[in-house]
Amino acid sequence: MSAIETLAALPRATFEFANVILTTPDAPIGQTPREVVWTHRGTTLYRYRSSSRQHAIPVLLVFALINRPEIFDLRRGSSFVEFLLAEGFDVFLVDWGVPDEEDSEMGLAEFVCDELHWAVRETLRAADEEELTLLGWCIGGTLCAIYCALHPAEAVRNAVLLTTPIDPSSSLYAVWVGHDEFDVDLIAERYRAVPGSGIDFANKLMKPVANYAITYRRLFQTILDGKDARESYQAMAKWVADTPPFPSRAYREWVTWIYKENRLVAGRLRLRDERVDLARIEQNLLVVTASADHIAPPDGTVPLLDLVSSEDVTYFDRPGGHIGLMAGSKAKHEIWPELADWLCERSGR
Amino acid sequence: MADGSSTGPDAQVRALYEQAESRTAQAFEELVSKPSFGVMLARSAENVAAMARIGSDLGDLVLRNLRLAGRADVARLAQQLHRTEDKLERLLQEMEDLREELARGPSANGSPGAGIKTGRTRKRKTS
Repeated sequence: MSAIETLAALPRATFEFANVILTTPDAPIGQTPREVVWTHRGTTLYRYRSSSRQHAIPVLLVFALINRPEIFDLRRGSSFVEFLLAEGFDVFLVDWGVPDEEDSEMGLAEFVCDELHWAVRETLRAADEEELTLLGWCIGGTLCAIYCALHPAEAVRNAVLLTTPIDPSSSLYAVWVGHDEFDVDLIAERYRAVPGSGIDFANKLMKPVANYAITYRRLFQTILDGKDARESYQAMAKWVADTPPFPSRAYREWVTWIYKENRLVAGRLRLRDERVDLARIEQNLLVVTASADHIAPPDGTVPLLDLVSSEDVTYFDRPGGHIGLMAGSKAKHEIWPELADWLCERSGR
Repeated sequence: MADGSSTGPDAQVRALYEQAESRTAQAFEELVSKPSFGVMLARSAENVAAMARIGSDLGDLVLRNLRLAGRADVARLAQQLHRTEDKLERLLQEMEDLREELARGPSANGSPGAGIKTGRTRKRKTS
């Protein structure tokens, strides 16, 4: 495109750019049909029914306590849920809802020992099966690992942990919140629900120029080049902006136990008087890290591989970022088929 | 002409801009990864939290003096509802387990599915 052509295209591109940004909140995400199986407090268990179910063992998807689980079902043609359904899996998803001040008493024990435990129970009841696959992403992966350690010989046959912080002592988060100057108790006492916008701001601050400038510059450039970036940009931008509050007790425990004291790896984490010993994890285990992950770097996940007792352990380290690995444009052709292959081999009766 | 456009002034300007952008991004990432930045961030978070709490408390005080329910009142009420819901959920699970046990008969036990239910029953709270 010559300089004159570029100049001529500028007004159209500017209007288009503004329109894309302004209409982002209206973008449809999480469109795959689903039904509510169970609810408790703000937690909802959804079921996505496959029209061509081939595998007995259902898959229960667990996302983090920050951001919403719609990332599993971002948009038509680019949805992990849709992909799993096409592969013949019975898919369930636990949605933690949008906590608020009234949920300030919800700690990690409530999420793991109550909400997740009950979601597992209800999944088994709905699927009429005795075992399932737990697939956790980010903090959701950590919650799944804790759950597997507390219930090693029960309902979970396979555990899939995606970009999961286990030993985050070398992460940027640890630099920010792991030191004594960060008074997590003060934050948790003053905010009964730590605002999602604050957590979103911190996440973006890890790569400030990339998140606050380059993303928009690239979008503008794509539009200027005459390419259609609307659907992909809007779906992801809408998901990123949707950050529910973090219940203060869970926030305090997460920061203190995982980042300040590194209790999970040290074997000193206790939930309801029961020690969380990662060595008790016996399930078939798949651990996936993203090589360019700045939120849960591979170094913070890999230690899990040496701690568990599982005989069937698989590890993938693939190019990509914390979210891009599973929700990027290449995921559909790269990591998703690998996950499906691993699951297929371990999901028969 | 086509070759010229890839090495022309606009392409050069774009390449220079992208190089500067990349270097700036790298510099900022190095900046935010320093412990001193973490301390500054911690202080900022504490200040924002303190100001937000003062504003929230003030708003609640005004509403309370007007005899209107404030956020704290709504949260307290919702917490009471949550406790009731917790009890109902546990009660429901007990009933479901008993019904399943009755349906299975007295001799059947020990399946993985039964194990998960037994574990939950042990943890039942009454308060």
